[in-house]
Amino acid sequence: MERVRGLLRELLRRALSEHGREAPALTDITIERASGRFEPRIGAHFANGYCTWAPVRADDCYAVCERYGAWDLPSLRRALLVEAHEIYGRVCEEHLTEMARARARRSMAAAFFDRLRRRVPMGGREPAGYARDAPEPVPDRADLASRRQESQRRLLDWWAQQRNDYARSALFGTGMNADIGSKRAQERGVRLLKENLTVAQRRQYEKFGYFDVTGGMSGKRYRIRHGRQMNIEQLDRNGRRVCGWCFFPQGSLVSGDVMLGQKIALELYEADALRIANRF
Amino acid sequence: MAVQIVMDRTGDTRHEFDVADSNAVALAEERFRQLTGKGFRAVALSGDGSPGKLVDKFDPTVEQTLFIPQLQGG
Repeated sequence: MERVRGLLRELLRRALSEHGREAPALTDITIERASGRFEPRIGAHFANGYCTWAPVRADDCYAVCERYGAWDLPSLRRALLVEAHEIYGRVCEEHLTEMARARARRSMAAAFFDRLRRRVPMGGREPAGYARDAPEPVPDRADLASRRQESQRRLLDWWAQQRNDYARSALFGTGMNADIGSKRAQERGVRLLKENLTVAQRRQYEKFGYFDVTGGMSGKRYRIRHGRQMNIEQLDRNGRRVCGWCFFPQGSLVSGDVMLGQKIALELYEADALRIANRF
Repeated sequence: MAVQIVMDRTGDTRHEFDVADSNAVALAEERFRQLTGKGFRAVALSGDGSPGKLVDKFDPTVEQTLFIPQLQGG
């Protein structure tokens, strides 16, 4: 009996997986006799014309015949149809539950990417048409796909950034890039830096540990991360990293002073600064 | 009052002077010459974070002048 039930379950699941949510109604169960080198097989037929088959052995059906007292083929078909309807109901329920779970997983992933998108704004600027507190418009399918791609790209960028930061801290953590000077000196440096950042830059620095600067000569965008060395990135118009630049004021200055010196250099004497800088 | 801010290892050193005091202004001018002579860049700060202005000559009317040491590549 279990063998036949297993076969029916397999056939019905196959039908559901083919049709997804639109589960067609089960109309008939048929058994074909062996012919030539083909084994006997059992088939499930559905209202939309779809049918699916699996090989079956005579002794598999014996338990059904015994249970239902069906000793001819039409009675056996009817008995199998009763069994199949019962199984189909359960399988449909399981299928719907699984689909709901998958939908929940997808929405969790979408929420994760959405949070990521909000957390990592495009080069510190909000994407066009994006207002943080405004209700989001209902996106169409193409828009969703492009947003998903964008989120994935941001995730990869973020991951690459984390990797680079880790490598940089491993290389320079105890060297030039580590914070130097007394705690008081560092605080003074950061205070001086914050006094000379715009509101947006200050907010960005406090939130993300970096701020964006526009080159005074070229108009290019640079991102200055907290640090003293190898902490400047040139960004393209989409906020993607083009290259890194390394320059800093001489004299073992604290991080705040170094970052302020870098910001002013890029804003006021960009060409001189980049001539001195090393690109990486 | 005007102030000259010099970046150094302590974070910064601030030298305030009264623009009405000629001695203080002379001292500030001397400091300006010494620092720019050593390669420091003098920048008149805007105060709101917007790009300031490079200063080549001492100007006592500038409220905040920041001295940034010479740059080096890393």
